[in-house]
Amino acid sequence: MIDALLVPFQYDYMVKALWVSALIGGVCGLLSCFVTLKGWSLMGDALSHAIVPGVTIAYLMGAPFAAGAFISGLFAAVGMGFIKARTSLKEDAVIGVVFTTFFALGVLLISLFPSGITLKTIVFGNILGIADEDANQVLVIAAVTVLVLLLKWKDLVLFCFDPNQARTLGLNVNAYHFILLSLLSATAVASMQTVGACLVVATLVTPGATAYLLTDKFSTMLLLSSGIGITSSFLGAYFSYFLDGSTGGCIVVIQTLLFLAALVWGPKHGLLASRTKRKQALARSLA
Amino acid sequence: MNPTDSSTRPLDVCVENVSVVYNNGNEAVSNASFHLKSGIICALVGINGSGKSTLFKAIMGFVTPARGQVLISGLPVQAAQKRNWIAYVPQSEDVDWNFPVSVWDVVLMGRYGYMNFLRIPRADDKRLAEESLRRVQMWDFRDRQIGELSGGQKKRVFLARALAQQSRVILLDEPFTGVDVKTEAAIITLLGELRDAGHIILVSTHDLGSVPEFCDEAVIINRTVLASGPVTEVFNEANLTKAFGGALRHFRFHESTVQNHDGRSVTVLSDEERPLVFGKDGHLEFSKREGRENIVRERANHEDDE
Repeated sequence: MIDALLVPFQYDYMVKALWVSALIGGVCGLLSCFVTLKGWSLMGDALSHAIVPGVTIAYLMGAPFAAGAFISGLFAAVGMGFIKARTSLKEDAVIGVVFTTFFALGVLLISLFPSGITLKTIVFGNILGIADEDANQVLVIAAVTVLVLLLKWKDLVLFCFDPNQARTLGLNVNAYHFILLSLLSATAVASMQTVGACLVVATLVTPGATAYLLTDKFSTMLLLSSGIGITSSFLGAYFSYFLDGSTGGCIVVIQTLLFLAALVWGPKHGLLASRTKRKQALARSLA
Repeated sequence: MNPTDSSTRPLDVCVENVSVVYNNGNEAVSNASFHLKSGIICALVGINGSGKSTLFKAIMGFVTPARGQVLISGLPVQAAQKRNWIAYVPQSEDVDWNFPVSVWDVVLMGRYGYMNFLRIPRADDKRLAEESLRRVQMWDFRDRQIGELSGGQKKRVFLARALAQQSRVILLDEPFTGVDVKTEAAIITLLGELRDAGHIILVSTHDLGSVPEFCDEAVIINRTVLASGPVTEVFNEANLTKAFGGALRHFRFHESTVQNHDGRSVTVLSDEERPLVFGKDGHLEFSKREGRENIVRERANHEDDE
């Protein structure tokens, strides 16, 4: 029985898939706190689609995919910023226009230049087949992201919470905007490896949203969401071996289950806790 | 805590011919000028859309004027910000109250400008944060998540953050909106103390009735500065009518209908908030604290009746 459960660890490709997934899950979990609090969930979705043409071009040129994805993500972010500033369109419309344009461009490029990279890999991810150099890129992205967040999380919290106060303190708000966008693009690239472009946004939002329901303390939220990211990604990759199904699908389904659990049983903001609180308040007012 | 300590130049705020143009070509503020000296409370008064908040943003450095400049003790706003000279207390609507930060976290944010790269608070930072919280009577609430507080308590916490920042210039955006009478009185007392310590306090408000009560000066704006100077001089019917136009209700009571202490006629100007009352000779009649509280109480009773 135990032997059967340990089978995945006998394969090098599975071991690699497990630790890379867990690492990406943890980093995305950390970042998801900022994404949910800043209200950038849609932005995360947009960026994860907007990186596709960059990845394709990088593959075609034999350049590191992360660089291509990063540049293309920034182009999209700058494009959105530009249109937003110059028109009176609502932000969601701007995001909708820009990210679909980029995604379409990516799809077109892949279909025009068939190569080692397939649309399926990008859209659904292929962590089981991840090459060593890709895993190394993920390592670099994770290291840089964790370092930046470790050093600057307090400033980023202030930037998300009260950008005006950050400004009156003389902090460069545009720089923090750029840093957060860059980290978002970078982790979106990493996450694309495990869950694919379509589900990246889940890993960049769900852990943070779950942790948000569980605590009122930001540092606790960071720990919880990275824990959720690591656990769900590890377990997702692990179960996908037995199910012989999509790793990305498994990871996101586990994250959703955790979210639902927090929604119902969360000690402070959960549905059951709220109901108890309402009842207690009613009882108090009647007494 | 003396705000003029570390500079040879006396503290002042100088708004010189400031125009702000937005991307859509709308000139929100045009050629605005006024000057504030150390140790005053000044009200920035105007209707919504008068450019009040834009001018406020220009002084805080959130928007760059297309023409003109804002100087604080002779320095551009950005340089003043780096020296922690400017603090602001945001309007309640501008804050995400569900954000997972505690009262203590918020007040420490006022000290970030003094902290190192990692923003690790030193003993000094913690001491000042504690002093500030005690000064606004919110020390016992330090571990609460900010959203759990009442409107007045929230305002006090942000005021404590501004205190902890030890700034020379403090800007408050609509500080009395959604605030109970007691907190309002406490805030006014505190602002008075800061004024006496030499700070410049600029309060953006559309609550006309409260202005003569606690402000020394007022800047009345509608796209540009219509009048600025001591409240007793600039707060007259002509200026306010120019600034508020149709938005201001006008009531005139003559000797026969009004029964105030000396039987003179009075004029009441009201923008749905709190009324401003002038006597026959145009003098401000109604600026006493006790009177204010009566009005607020009466209004509350009136709302209860409805």
